Amino acid sequence: MLAEIKNVSKTHESNGNTIQALDNINFSVEDNDFICIVGPSGCGKSTLLRIIVGLERPTSGEVLFKGEPISTDNPKVAMVFQNFALFPWLNVTENIELVLEPLELRGKKAENKACKYIKAVGLDGFEKVYPRELSGGMKQRVGFARALAVEPVLLCMDEPFSSLDALTSQNLKDELLMLWADTSMPPDAVIMVTHNIEEAVYMANRIIILSPRPGKVVADLRIGLERPRNRKDPEFYRWVDKVYSLIV
Amino acid sequence: MIFPKATISEIIGLLEAVNDSGGIEDAARLAADFDLDLQEILPSIDGAELLGFAVVTDGNIELTADARKLLDSGIRERKNIIREKVAGAEIIKELRNKLLESEDHRMKKEDALKFVQERISSDDIESYFRIIINWTRHAGLIGYNSDAEEICLMAKA
Repeated sequence: MLAEIKNVSKTHESNGNTIQALDNINFSVEDNDFICIVGPSGCGKSTLLRIIVGLERPTSGEVLFKGEPISTDNPKVAMVFQNFALFPWLNVTENIELVLEPLELRGKKAENKACKYIKAVGLDGFEKVYPRELSGGMKQRVGFARALAVEPVLLCMDEPFSSLDALTSQNLKDELLMLWADTSMPPDAVIMVTHNIEEAVYMANRIIILSPRPGKVVADLRIGLERPRNRKDPEFYRWVDKVYSLIV
Repeated sequence: MIFPKATISEIIGLLEAVNDSGGIEDAARLAADFDLDLQEILPSIDGAELLGFAVVTDGNIELTADARKLLDSGIRERKNIIREKVAGAEIIKELRNKLLESEDHRMKKEDALKFVQERISSDDIESYFRIIINWTRHAGLIGYNSDAEEICLMAKA
């Protein structure tokens, strides 16, 4: 078992009111899991992801990574953000090298590592380019390369395609699945939050559905569709319908 | 001449969508599938056609053998195919030749904008410039240094 989410609950205080965001979430993450967490907006799915990577603490319960409580500086867990979160004053290579510093990777070693993942995501040619000059698709490729460069065991992604136009997003999903299919590449497991059901069925081999606030796990489905998946396949649509029916 | 305002990622995304429909799809239906207006996907369709990845007849987009080859390839191999196709686009061929002729294989951005303006008459030449650079960076052919504000030939990796 790679990670374990145990009895995780979260409440927020707002204007003297207590709002429960998450209610007793339990599931475990195994090797080769590509999990998509879906649910209606406001169900706490992004909060849950932030708790899983250690960016937020649960009010009660815990997250274990390989049996140990998760910590924010765990280099085996990496995050991809919806809004890319790149440093505008650093070029593509520098944005990636920055995350290698805490791993004691500097100079030539950092450069080689950054170069490897720049090539893996097809960013070669853009090494010295600043974020402001990049299209959304290229920015998110930097996000992927930066997350992969630390060679994480678990990759967490919060709505990684929702800032992109529809066609670019289609292209990036396919490329991400190519990287996922390549067993020589990190990570061992992915947890991705999305509000897009079709996207979840396209990407995931496991979908965890949360209820409206407070978020509770209402279903944990194994998606048995073969890859590569085809959005026009009737079987694909049966899965989309099934997930929809469990959310509404 | 008309140059499509579509990035390489958008064009490949379009090809992937047509592929899901069995290699041929009605343009309007494809746009509707993505909740987009036809106008919004036209540049990507034009781009796919210009690069030889699609043929459009009577509103139907059909993938070429090169598009199928591209989609069957991994990320690395895709770069090579894109390089070959982008190198064949007329305006990029001319721009490369111009850079090859120049002493240091460089050109000031303002000269590059003039070059583009002469071929693509538009009052929004800056965004055409950005798209051309998106294509040529993808292809590893021509780069742009925003600090020096100049474009330059890229050494083949």
